[in-house]
Amino acid sequence: MQPLGKAASDDDRPLIERVRRGDQDAARILYERYFDRIYNYVYARLGRAEDAEDLAIDTMTRSLTRLDLFQDQGVAFSSWVYRIAHNATIDHYRRQGRATLVPLESATMPVSADPSELAVEQLSNEDLREALRTLTDEQQQVLILRFFQDLTAAQAARIMGKSVGAVQALQHRALGSLERALHGRTNN
Amino acid sequence: MERLERLAERLRSIDPVMPSPGAKIRGWNLVLAAVEQSATVRSRSHPVRRLVLAAVSAGVLLVAGAVAASADSLPDSALYSLKGVVENVRGALAFSPSDKVAFHLDLARTRLTEAEAMIARHRLDLADRALNGLDDQLNDAALVVQSEKQSDPALGASLENRLVQAIATHDQQLAGLQGQVTNPEAIAAIAQARDRAAQAIQTANKPASSNGGGKPSASPAGKGSGTSATPHPTPNH
Repeated sequence: MQPLGKAASDDDRPLIERVRRGDQDAARILYERYFDRIYNYVYARLGRAEDAEDLAIDTMTRSLTRLDLFQDQGVAFSSWVYRIAHNATIDHYRRQGRATLVPLESATMPVSADPSELAVEQLSNEDLREALRTLTDEQQQVLILRFFQDLTAAQAARIMGKSVGAVQALQHRALGSLERALHGRTNN
Repeated sequence: MERLERLAERLRSIDPVMPSPGAKIRGWNLVLAAVEQSATVRSRSHPVRRLVLAAVSAGVLLVAGAVAASADSLPDSALYSLKGVVENVRGALAFSPSDKVAFHLDLARTRLTEAEAMIARHRLDLADRALNGLDDQLNDAALVVQSEKQSDPALGASLENRLVQAIATHDQQLAGLQGQVTNPEAIAAIAQARDRAAQAIQTANKPASSNGGGKPSASPAGKGSGTSATPHPTPNH
């Protein structure tokens, strides 16, 4: 998966115009540029390949057929695509009747000054992914965007509609929550 | 802090999960079909094309041209009030219950198209009115169904089926729209419209007496025409 370059939004603009004129080649380029990333994003949230495929396809379909709604919204196309994916994920949770919320005290509790050492290098990828899915919606989103999708804090901030400072603070809290969740898993 | 940085690095080291090649191809085929369909619809309903057509029509036959052009006009268009007049005339000519339900469902679809266009143009005030209009039309159709179920249960059930299908289609469209907009006010307005559309089904299921002996009540939004006998779907301004 290629990193999303800082100039991606500039590169997208002429392609978006071409898609609006019905250019399928341009649509294909945008599809190739975003499909894997969106699949990866949704998979990190849901953990099920079939659901992630369906939602990634749904996201790309909406993104490329409703460009009239994207017009003049003042956000980069990449941010818009991620927002659609995020909303689709939330809708999916609602349809499944699954709550994504975790107790507030668990989500916001400060990181302990002296926790027992957690051997993060020895944790399996699946342990990390499962622990991540126990976090709050925003905490999951910030960690996935920053570390799975390798976006900058500024890019994540644009997608989440927050300031860079707020994203950095959220990221710090999310890592703390993840650490606690992993502690809980290893202690059980 | 160092612990969290190590954890962050560990997260970065997780290999990305990639979709299967089959899923990617399937996805592209679906996206391509949707893009093609979308391009066809856009070319048919491009606003510039509509305006040119309207101007030509007006030049040929002013009144008839304006009336024809108003059919596709949007709430922010000067011709929109004329559209309301034309719709009133159409409503007055719908006599049978089937025609009335078809008329209201047609107008509901029109209001939804208008709402989508207004959201795309960031005219939330007009979008909100169009969404209210959508719900009013569904409610009016529900009142016709409710009344017909009393007098002719078989026809009433058939009309109710059409209403339920229309509401399901609109809800699907509204859900899609809700997922695409980012403005909280627009999201709230769409959510409200979905709730009210769902209420129309309940209205159709109520016995007519609960609305005052068969007399239809006002729409849930309080802006409905309030009677299925004299539909007046004039767009709000």
